[in-house]
Amino acid sequence: MIAVRDLTKHYHVGDHVVRALRGVTLDVAAGEFVTVVGPSGSGKSTFMHILGCLDRPTSGQYLLHGRDVSHLGADDLARVRNETIGFVFQGFNLMARTSALENVELPLLYTRQGALGAAERRSRAMRALAAVGLTDRADHHPSQLSGGQQQRVAIARALINEPALLLADEPTGNLDTETSQEVMKIFAELRATRGLTIVVITHERDIAAWGTRTIDFRDGVVVSDRVNADEPRATVPAEEPV
Amino acid sequence: MTPARLHRVLAHLRPLLVSLRPVAETAVKALSRNRLQTGLTMIGIAVGVATVLAMMAVGAGAQRSIEQQVRAAGLNQITIKAGNWKPKQAIDGGAAAPHGDAGDSLRLPVDDLMPALPRAGAAWRRDDVVPIAFHPEDDPMEKHDHPLAWQRLGDLEAGLGAAATLSFEDAEAIRRLPGVQYVACGVHANARVHAGDRRWFTRMHGTDLELPNIKRTWTFTSGRFFTRREQDRGAQVLVLGQVAAERLFGEGVDPVGREVTLWNQPFDVVGVIGSASWVVRPAPGDDEFDAVYMPFTTTHRLLNLSKLNDITVTAASSGAVSEVARAITELLRQRHGISAAMPDDFTVSTQATSAIAGGGLAPGVAQVIAGNVRELERVTLDQLATTLERASRTMTWLLGAVAFVSLLVGGIGIMNITLLSVTERTREIGLRMAVGARGRDVMRQFLAEAVAISLAGGAAGIVLGILASAAIAATLGWATVVSFTSVFVAFGVAAAVGVFFGYYPARRAAALDPIVALRRE
Ligand SMILES: Nc1ncnc2c1ncn2[C@@H]1O[C@H](COP(=O)(O)OP(=O)(O)O)[C@@H](O)[C@H]1O
Ligand SMILES: [Mg+2]
Repeated sequence: MIAVRDLTKHYHVGDHVVRALRGVTLDVAAGEFVTVVGPSGSGKSTFMHILGCLDRPTSGQYLLHGRDVSHLGADDLARVRNETIGFVFQGFNLMARTSALENVELPLLYTRQGALGAAERRSRAMRALAAVGLTDRADHHPSQLSGGQQQRVAIARALINEPALLLADEPTGNLDTETSQEVMKIFAELRATRGLTIVVITHERDIAAWGTRTIDFRDGVVVSDRVNADEPRATVPAEEPV
Repeated sequence: MTPARLHRVLAHLRPLLVSLRPVAETAVKALSRNRLQTGLTMIGIAVGVATVLAMMAVGAGAQRSIEQQVRAAGLNQITIKAGNWKPKQAIDGGAAAPHGDAGDSLRLPVDDLMPALPRAGAAWRRDDVVPIAFHPEDDPMEKHDHPLAWQRLGDLEAGLGAAATLSFEDAEAIRRLPGVQYVACGVHANARVHAGDRRWFTRMHGTDLELPNIKRTWTFTSGRFFTRREQDRGAQVLVLGQVAAERLFGEGVDPVGREVTLWNQPFDVVGVIGSASWVVRPAPGDDEFDAVYMPFTTTHRLLNLSKLNDITVTAASSGAVSEVARAITELLRQRHGISAAMPDDFTVSTQATSAIAGGGLAPGVAQVIAGNVRELERVTLDQLATTLERASRTMTWLLGAVAFVSLLVGGIGIMNITLLSVTERTREIGLRMAVGARGRDVMRQFLAEAVAISLAGGAAGIVLGILASAAIAATLGWATVVSFTSVFVAFGVAAAVGVFFGYYPARRAAALDPIVALRRE
């Protein structure tokens, strides 16, 4: 599903170069639930932006579904994001004064076929909201929802175009422990029921434990990449993750 | 367009409309965020659009009143007279020329044309006028099947209009030319009309039933003009000019249905002509109202004539007068078999008669014309058109400047508000890009916002502009015309302002890097 070879990303700040990624090579198979950990500034977000086609690497190769997307143009990248990738952000990034339903509909405005009819958009958005258990909050505005509910709306939005890859950058960063677990449980269920490939960035160990595999970043390189021992726990989450 | 095709076209348009709807919805929602700025910006656009509309209304109004004035003044008239003579003034220095236009306003003490006898003074007078073209009628050896010009009309001063070169068939051919509106044949003479014991010496026009269409300032104070049947039969019916009617029957008496005598023949009076324009007042001695009218066929029959003195034509459009005049000249030269080297045996002239300074025309325009154009009656239609155009261009520029400034102010407002919107919603832009919006989608979004403001302002401006046009008409006395086209153009201007000033902010939004945009607080 994902094949990354010698990926580097350099930022030029003033006259010196920040090396956010310094040669990352890894593969992610379809249906894997990868959690990415590492200290702040280790390059996790940078890596995810490249995986999400929001950014292009300075050098190296990124094959998505076997297709080299590291050198696509802006419009092609937008198309890939729309069709193949779903994003969940730390800050939810919902549009205020817009109902949950309309927030979820947003990616449908930019599909290849052009915007769908209002009725079709609505029914699809309702299905996505049902998948995160928020059918009854469809007409609420973000300000009327709790943090956990807002993040679930954001997940529904990420799901609406039925992407193959779900990317989340610290999705639980703004949530309390209990809500965080609920959100991670949704990810695990989505993987189990839909076979989604999921990459979640976190710096919390107990969140990372939800993944079938955990990758550790440090200074722009992968320092550890291991399959979690108690994998079943991730697919059928227990009460208390360690 | 067949229903099936229409359906297909609509089917093609549907995706576009469907995809525009969310864009429009988002735009309206975004605008409600900055109500005050949006409102102020809209005022700027509204004033600009209103001025554009008023500008076009004033221009169109001036155009229309000019057009009406031109028609009323007969500026779309073309007169074809028989013969082609040097003006008498050119020979004797104008000293002995009481009438500039021979054959028109002559008033000679000829009681009756019957029997037509050669007159003493005729010979030297005729020698006085040197034809620049040799015409058969001037040949003393030539035998004619009709009285010669001077016999026929009793004109000692046989000149323009006296040569027998124009025929009814010529008139019919002219009628078939494109751009020709009305055609009237004319045979003219002076005549003494008797009504009981009253007599009045006046002008007799043997003319055509289309003449009232050409004489736009005429009104029938009583009765009617003669009919086609009367014209075809050569009926002895007479229409009196108001002055002639008063002289023959007295003021306040309706002569319709009474009988008069002319050339010892009885005529039934069927109508009286007065003037509908206060500019033109009937007066003794004028050619229109101190006159009597009968079908030219009647004149032909009674005087044993077959030719015409003149043909009066109107062009359907006053702008096409010179064109139609040229076409007539060509047609007649061809019909008369005149070779290229020879001059015309007729004279085509277009009229640019006065009355411009009179009613109807906007005071400003009238003033400009009156101030700038000397000897108005002599200027050609082209010159007149140029002057009018210059006058209306001046005011168009003035209003145009006002419109430009307000639209500029409004446009900068739009740019400002759209930039504000882009800044405020940078994160949203980043999000939209993350879920698949391309640069052009973002661009379209912000252009839609800019255009939404300008169209809303434009709609208000159109209402304002219609009111302003009405106010201009009411207070300044300018004629204004708000047409569907001008409303359409005003709306288009509003949309164009939105697109033009929305372009820069929209481009900036489209060029944002999604990551940077997402990270913005
Ligand atoms: N746009 C940027 N310009 C300059 N430096 C950047 C930019 N984005 C990230 N960096 C730098 O790259 C390094 C990796 O950042 P990031 O991927 O955000 O780390 P993490 O998400 O693991 O905290 C950091 O040193 C950060 O300062
Ligand atoms: Mg980060």
